[in-house]
Amino acid sequence: MTRKHMSRRTFTATAVGATVGAAAGLQALPAAAQTQFGSKELIAAAEKEGQLTFYTADFAETQQEVIKEFNKTFPKVKVAMVRAPGGQLIQRIKTEAAAGKLGADVVNHSDRGLMLDIADLFQDYAPPNAADYRPDALVSPKLWPGATLGWAIAYNTQLVKNAPKTWMDLLKPEYKNKQIGQVIGPSGGTTWTRIMFERQVLGEDYWKKQAELGIALYPSGAPLSDALVRGEVSIAPLLYNIIYTKIVEGAPAEAIFAPEGVPIVPYADGVTKTAKSPNAAKLFMNWRLSKEGQTFMINKLGNITSLKEPPAFPKGWDPKTIKVWVPNFEQFDKLRATWIEEWNKTYGYRQ
Amino acid sequence: MTATSAAALPESDQVRPAPRRWGAPLWVGALLIVLAFLVIYPLLMLVFGALSDSNPIVDGFGAFRPSVKHFVDVLANENVHLAFFNALAACGGGTILAVAIGLAFSWIVVRTDTPFRGFIAGASMIPLFVPPLVAGVAWGILGSPKTGLLNTVLKWIGIDFRFDFYSMSGLILVFGIYYAPYVYMFTASALRNMDPSLEEASEVSGASAFTTLFTVTFPLIAPAILAGSLLSFVVMLGIYGVPAALGAPANISVLTTYIFKLTAWSPPLYNTAAAVAILLMVVTAILVWAQQRVLSGKSFATVAGKAFRPRALQLGRWRWFTFSLALIYLFVVVVLPTLALVIAAFRKFLFIKDFDALFDAKAYSWVHFNSVFDNPLTMLSIWNTMKVGVITALVGGALAFAIGYTVNRTQVSGRRSIDLLATLPVAIPGLVVGVAYLWAWIGLPGGLYGTLWILALAFVARFMPDTVKALSTSFMQIHRELEEAAWICGRGLLGTIRTIVLPLARPGVVASMTLLFVLAIRELGSSLFLYTSDTTVMAVLLLDYYEGGNVGKTAAFSLVQTVLLAGLLGLTTWLSRDAAQGSARVG
Repeated sequence: MTRKHMSRRTFTATAVGATVGAAAGLQALPAAAQTQFGSKELIAAAEKEGQLTFYTADFAETQQEVIKEFNKTFPKVKVAMVRAPGGQLIQRIKTEAAAGKLGADVVNHSDRGLMLDIADLFQDYAPPNAADYRPDALVSPKLWPGATLGWAIAYNTQLVKNAPKTWMDLLKPEYKNKQIGQVIGPSGGTTWTRIMFERQVLGEDYWKKQAELGIALYPSGAPLSDALVRGEVSIAPLLYNIIYTKIVEGAPAEAIFAPEGVPIVPYADGVTKTAKSPNAAKLFMNWRLSKEGQTFMINKLGNITSLKEPPAFPKGWDPKTIKVWVPNFEQFDKLRATWIEEWNKTYGYRQ
Repeated sequence: MTATSAAALPESDQVRPAPRRWGAPLWVGALLIVLAFLVIYPLLMLVFGALSDSNPIVDGFGAFRPSVKHFVDVLANENVHLAFFNALAACGGGTILAVAIGLAFSWIVVRTDTPFRGFIAGASMIPLFVPPLVAGVAWGILGSPKTGLLNTVLKWIGIDFRFDFYSMSGLILVFGIYYAPYVYMFTASALRNMDPSLEEASEVSGASAFTTLFTVTFPLIAPAILAGSLLSFVVMLGIYGVPAALGAPANISVLTTYIFKLTAWSPPLYNTAAAVAILLMVVTAILVWAQQRVLSGKSFATVAGKAFRPRALQLGRWRWFTFSLALIYLFVVVVLPTLALVIAAFRKFLFIKDFDALFDAKAYSWVHFNSVFDNPLTMLSIWNTMKVGVITALVGGALAFAIGYTVNRTQVSGRRSIDLLATLPVAIPGLVVGVAYLWAWIGLPGGLYGTLWILALAFVARFMPDTVKALSTSFMQIHRELEEAAWICGRGLLGTIRTIVLPLARPGVVASMTLLFVLAIRELGSSLFLYTSDTTVMAVLLLDYYEGGNVGKTAAFSLVQTVLLAGLLGLTTWLSRDAAQGSARVG
């Protein structure tokens, strides 16, 4: 399997280092790991700092897995996490920063627009493998796609006999009467990316045709994924990582990547200017953005990646047929308010 | 509980005058300073936010350009109108149901010889301990029109009827059954403190037990009923979890879910949310004013200087009827949702194809509990939550006693302002009040931000109305003559409070502190902005699980929380009983 093969190859250099590193500390880290994650000096300084504070708008459990994996290689750098929903996290960061009490060393956020507004709070930073990242996934030289998520079509295997295979299949009359669930348009940057894709790639009238089927609306992806597993809805466009872990655990669900395109959402992560542990923060970012970090997130968490050459692919992802769709950031910002308003009207969502 | 008779008081050679004149203004000043810090300052931040587009900390006060734009926008938005009327319908209906249930329960427990009253009293408080989000989730699992367990059972039995809790009636029902304990707490303590001689007089005059109940008993405890219904109404207005879980699937929006949307959209509209919050405060202010107007000029003192014993109505065979009523309520409100949570917590996935699938042993495991306790944040959050709960209960209880006593038992000038200020926070939804506290307190010198104390202070402020109102009922029922007797016997003000007021109000004090502890443990909105990695609390972790879309872990963690709280409930019931017995001994 491609995924296995890729991950084995990627891990060759670092897996030994990770194991030995965990047992014996920095001295045992091989040179390859040192270049991949930063200089020897950076690693030594990070371990001396010994900890960092990580603010995230992602799911706490997902990020804990990331931290756990990071600590396998760098057990001496403890990561304390503060998690809050997107808009509330931004509000908190702004207020803390203004009061001179910003607690975060690293911030991880899915809404590139909101992060760009506060880009001044972040220091100049680039990972060792900066050149490997797609330029269209970057909105500021200070902010990096530590995580990248992609949209899939998920369905309940016990309820759907004729599973959808394309985005256009979600217009079929056989899926009418709230069999399809959707996250509301104004919920945030990730959903906005998907509905922008639907209108720009699948057609101006895609929303209208789909809304006519009768769609069950949900405030965010997580409750929708739960509703899908429970059988409240049968089909739902979902960020792959939300449903992937459930599928792995044996939930009656499956997810496919549609051939018309996979809208992806690159996160915007950065190291704050006021970081109390700047070296630990950079090391953590370097690890997250490294091939090793990205491979772990793809294989274990169901992420996609913004690396030009993906080190691994999620299950069912055929690189020959599947196209990644990244929104044009200028349009992402400019069209948002008017299109969301139209989406609300089309789907009968009261904002 | 019975009254303390004047004869039981110690004798004194010297009769001291009532509190010295200069002490009162100082006392009122001190309380006002505390309230200014806890309520006025954060509220000013909120008003500042509602009247501008700026964040007072980020942009500074210099950037303040007052404008009523947010208010105009909010008032003109028809979706806000709809959310407002939905909220009134859901909370109004819920309150009526809560009053009916709460009053019936308090009467059954306090004034009848229904069997197992102690058990019923304890168990009927359980809904209060359930976080609204968990209640919403549990009733979604039970009453979803498509996958609800109740409907699965109906289908299996062959009945065509289907429940739909994703509806306005579902909201009303869940609100009503979950907030009945508020009414119960107020009315039970009032009934317990009521002199039965008034009822006896009614019955001697030929009135039936039923007539007496409606013409003497309930009118006499009117302040408690009003206070309980007002509190449950405004608390429902501020609840997010229940309408989020049950209203959202049916596209029923209420004010809190609307406010949550405002803070959750990208970009978040905190200033507009602040404007909606201020409108909510106006509604509450009107309700409080109406309550005071209804009660003004009437005396509800039923605890006087004459000893009495609580009277239990002999129901005869009917006591099994009241007992079965209680059992049905407990089944609906405790057993069913707990069962739903247990199934969700132990089932790997909550896809239940048919009734038989419920009994497939392979589908059950400890996996969610294992994963919850694998999470290092779980134990940290439990420990932090307990610490914050205790601090909140002690500090908040003491402050509420001071405020309640000043407002209800003294004539000092400024007491009405104190009452008003202590009532204001009730109307502000948690999420908005959270950001107000953040704006207000983050800039303070010293190391308050990032400690558990800042969370505790936010909870004390946020739940002050609940605690003060719960205590006020106890104060209103203690006749002045008891304190006067103590003064005549030479006790000073503090001595009188210690020997007369505190023992008499003790069940109320214990109940208020328990309530505060429970509310602090459940509180999410204000925690979300004030917690740090070291001070994470259970409510925040619960939201993480819920938002992570894992109903199994959410249910497992909810059960852990419920078990912890049930332990506390047992402890306080025991303390209250001890208090009641102590008072009875004095009497």
